[in-house]
Amino acid sequence: MKTQITEWLLEVERFTTTNSKDLEDFRVKFLGKKGHLAHAFEAFKNIPPEERKEYGQHVNNLKSKVNDKIAELRASIDRSSTTGSDTTKDIDLTAPVDIHDLGSRHPLSIVRKDIIKIFERLGFYVSDGPEIEDDWHIFTALNFPQDHPARDMQDTFFIEKKPDIALRTHTSSVQVRVMQNNSPPIRTISPGRVFRNEAISARAHCIFHQIEGLYINKDVSFADLKQTLLYFAQEMFDKDTHIRLRPSYFPFTEPSAEMDVSCKLCKGKGCNICKYTGWVEILGCGMVDPNVLENCNIDSSIYSGFAFGMGVERMTMLKYDIKDLRIFFENDLNFLKQFASL
Amino acid sequence: MKISYNWLKEYIETNETPQHISELLTNCGLEVEGLEEVASVRGSLEGVVIGQVSQKEKHPNADKLSLTKVRINENTVLDIVCGAPNVEAGQKVLVATVGAKIYTQEDSFTIKKTKIRGAVSEGMICSEKELGLGEAEDGIMVLPADAPVGNAAADYFNIEKDWVFEIGLTPNRADAAFHMGVARDLAAVINNKNNYKNGKTVSYKPLNSIDFDNFPKTQSKPISITIEDTNACKRYAGILIKNITVKPSPEWLQNKLKFIGLKPHNNIVDISNYLLFAYGQPLHIFDADAIKGQKVLVKKYDHNFDFTTLDGADHKLTPDDLMICNADGPMCIAGIYGGLNSGVTHQTKNIFIESAYFNPIDIRKTAKRLGLKTDSSFRFERGTDPNIAVKVLQKATAVILENAGGQIASDVIDVYPAPVEPLYVDFKYNNFYKISGSSISHEHIKNILNDLEIKILKENNDGLQITIPPYRVDVTREIDVIEEVMRIYGFNNIALPQKVNASATHFPKNNYEAVIQKFSDYLSHNGYIEIMNNSLTKYDYYKDHNFFDIEKCVRILNPLSKDLEMMRRSLIYGALEVVLHNINRNISDMKLFEVGKSYSHNKLEKGLEKYQEAYNFMLLHTGKQYKESWQKPETPHDFFSLKSELNKTLKGLGIDILKIKTSDNVPEFFDYGLSYIYKDAVLAHFGCISSKVLKYFDIKQDVFYAELYGAQLIQVINDSTFVYKEASKYPAMRRDLALLIDNKTRFIEIEEMARNQNIKQLQSINLFDIYKGENIPDGKKSYAVSFTFQDDNRTLTDKEVDKIMKSLMQLYQKKINAVIR
Repeated sequence: MKTQITEWLLEVERFTTTNSKDLEDFRVKFLGKKGHLAHAFEAFKNIPPEERKEYGQHVNNLKSKVNDKIAELRASIDRSSTTGSDTTKDIDLTAPVDIHDLGSRHPLSIVRKDIIKIFERLGFYVSDGPEIEDDWHIFTALNFPQDHPARDMQDTFFIEKKPDIALRTHTSSVQVRVMQNNSPPIRTISPGRVFRNEAISARAHCIFHQIEGLYINKDVSFADLKQTLLYFAQEMFDKDTHIRLRPSYFPFTEPSAEMDVSCKLCKGKGCNICKYTGWVEILGCGMVDPNVLENCNIDSSIYSGFAFGMGVERMTMLKYDIKDLRIFFENDLNFLKQFASL
Repeated sequence: MKISYNWLKEYIETNETPQHISELLTNCGLEVEGLEEVASVRGSLEGVVIGQVSQKEKHPNADKLSLTKVRINENTVLDIVCGAPNVEAGQKVLVATVGAKIYTQEDSFTIKKTKIRGAVSEGMICSEKELGLGEAEDGIMVLPADAPVGNAAADYFNIEKDWVFEIGLTPNRADAAFHMGVARDLAAVINNKNNYKNGKTVSYKPLNSIDFDNFPKTQSKPISITIEDTNACKRYAGILIKNITVKPSPEWLQNKLKFIGLKPHNNIVDISNYLLFAYGQPLHIFDADAIKGQKVLVKKYDHNFDFTTLDGADHKLTPDDLMICNADGPMCIAGIYGGLNSGVTHQTKNIFIESAYFNPIDIRKTAKRLGLKTDSSFRFERGTDPNIAVKVLQKATAVILENAGGQIASDVIDVYPAPVEPLYVDFKYNNFYKISGSSISHEHIKNILNDLEIKILKENNDGLQITIPPYRVDVTREIDVIEEVMRIYGFNNIALPQKVNASATHFPKNNYEAVIQKFSDYLSHNGYIEIMNNSLTKYDYYKDHNFFDIEKCVRILNPLSKDLEMMRRSLIYGALEVVLHNINRNISDMKLFEVGKSYSHNKLEKGLEKYQEAYNFMLLHTGKQYKESWQKPETPHDFFSLKSELNKTLKGLGIDILKIKTSDNVPEFFDYGLSYIYKDAVLAHFGCISSKVLKYFDIKQDVFYAELYGAQLIQVINDSTFVYKEASKYPAMRRDLALLIDNKTRFIEIEEMARNQNIKQLQSINLFDIYKGENIPDGKKSYAVSFTFQDDNRTLTDKEVDKIMKSLMQLYQKKINAVIR
């Protein structure tokens, strides 16, 4: 019974209302003929004599708290019933309230998150790695031979020469680290910032962001790659999106392909965005070259895998029809604020 | 790389349209980036006809103009005002009729019926230059008397039209950097498309050896060839031709080159370009009289030396560079650029044609170091076909004899000490199916290989033993052959599987990703805008201030500019740049955040270990916290608005705030501020940016800034495990204290003193009023502090709470000389 009274005390303390009916219900609940207090007094006879004094104090305490509460709430209800109605009418409910602006994520973060979410649904884990890398992770392990024209494909910022330490030109270096540190099956996406020594213009920047994906296991085929990328394209754009793969060349994949999606703007009829081809290039992909697997201590006679990579800036520009790459790093709040709802 | 449709069709018989060929090439890896219709004359002389001037009179209102009547067919005579001094009655001329387009250097205009000084003009009699037929522009072009009136000028002049593909060639495809190679791929894809049906297959025309039976055999080798460096040069062939005439090329050759974007020079240069773009073999043609001692030596020197190339530029060459030399010295940088003194000039009579195979790596190293990129080096550094060198040399000889005259004066001299053999590869059908995920028939695979000149030596049910021709430098392994078959079969023809192939993988959790997302989402939902700055920044920022140890800056060896020469150490300067940028655009109230890496360098470590990267998290307030409004007075941001948000953010990340210590030590870029310390390392600094820094950036308003350090953040989050606890059912009790204390005494002392008592019922301590002024002695202040107590298991009694309060009061009286009011 003692714990019961403590609970009632808490209930009384927490109780509040602005209307008379609730207050009356409260009164009946505690002070009514069959109310809690009546119940408590009735229980008096079952309490051992040595505890009765303390019990009595508790019950009386409860009773006075209930009475205080009722008096307090009654006074407050009376006050508002005499004056309240008029004041409520006088308030201009249409007054503006926007004293705080909405915040927003950066559009590149929004699209990055969208892309990651899609691949996470397919069981890819996010992995991360350093931006300052050695030549081995950026080039050599990825099958870029020394003195090969492929090295010219990417202009590199160097921190040290001989041995070379540079800013990674792609997030494929993270895939190398993941393959070195884990054994198959490997299923990961590596988002991150990359650097190219290119003059800054509307279409090129010295920094940008990539998301690369990698899946290594037994019996992973090019057809599986197509399946995964079709799912991605249809989730990213819409479910009527088509994909087209064109053979291409990357040192770290064989075969290599570039993937186009049907232009979402003109539905393949031809427009400014797709340069009247009906297709828009969105990513590069391919089957991981056996040399890369071997460089990362994965037996290429047992395992195969696919990899793909895309630019977050490019996807964002496509998604929101943004024409100039530089705007992403200008940090003009009038630009950034527009993405508040995304 | 430009490829001409008509030229391509010299090597393959096909009726496919240029548009369809574009698609076929793109789908087999030769991406057509553009398709353009071209003509040997711009506009193809459309609307231009042959006419005859039947009458000429002086224009009554203009001295230099004539009024002419020009008959352009049986029934039509046009009135044309003409300004040319040479126009006369009876001439056969070229008339641009109404609607015809005339092209000037950079523009074009359309002929309209018009009045010139009051006289009607219904066309224009044109000069050579106006029609793009030649350079003459000082009068109209007069045709021979037999030119047929009424005929279209396009027919009379035999205008050649063509389509040109712009192909974005990937660096691996040296085999398709010329017309015959593209034709080879095209034949393979057409056959694949037609499924090798009988009678529908096509093949490309390879270059065959030419038998010089028609020419006198000289049996002489008046020039000797020696390859000293057989590693850098595997084959060197040449032929001597005497008594040629250097002159402009015939029209067909000029047009061919023009269509693919090359400027015609003279017959000799043009022919070598023609063979390069036809068969991919670069040729070098020497003035044979410059070959001193009748010796050609292919070698590297053992010392550095200077060399002047054909364009007059001086180059410093080294023992790494392969040179073509005569008995006296170097004549040519092998495979890259000819020398000034051995090239073909208009006076040249005797020539020596070189057709060689150089090691791609040697050519690439030299070309890269000298910054010389020529059509020749482009091909050699990607790899040419050693086995075609002599055939192209023979073909070149034939074309030169035909177009420049002269006689063969030597045999083909061919030094090829160790012929390059085809490569043997084992190809297993199962591996093909495993990688491609397709089910192409064995027969189909073999057909594709056949079209790619990959020879099948042996075969059984499991696979094939094949040889790869040496010109396929990119095909050396089974996987490359698999790629070749898939490429021709078409990536888009590979069927999709019914199910997504996935595996359950377990992976170390990426702490940062989750924390960054949580942090960013929390702030963006609370009115903050995320910014993103370049990791590359100005070294000056760090040098001018000295807030950071300059030694630790990571510098770029080859920066784009002075503004982007180092990796940022902190997010602060980028953030201030953004503040200034937006203030200049009339936005002065902002709450910003950024998550990004900072980079530093530790000399004591080795290699990559020297470089550290860490995630930093930044919050920034500036301008007004509450804008002008009827609800609340306008209020600027201050230290406490930042502190409040920072603390909420930390709590939002699940951090037990009681684990964090506070310190007064902050970097000098703050005028005032605090640091949060976790396990003896800084978790965050926050405060008001110093006026000195603001002045440097020309920012004229207060900026409140917090930077958090990733490693400590992750650690404190990991140490703050979430534990659910049942809420207490017992009432809380509050006691207030008014403490008159010294001005220097800080709330944190009062709080910590109470916390250190380890009173388990003490839930929270709050400062609800600060009072100074009337009735308070100087140097003192009054703090109104509330204490809330609650027990999990019972209702606290007044008596026991009073007892706790009494001990606290004594503590404050004793430790901080507080007077309890």
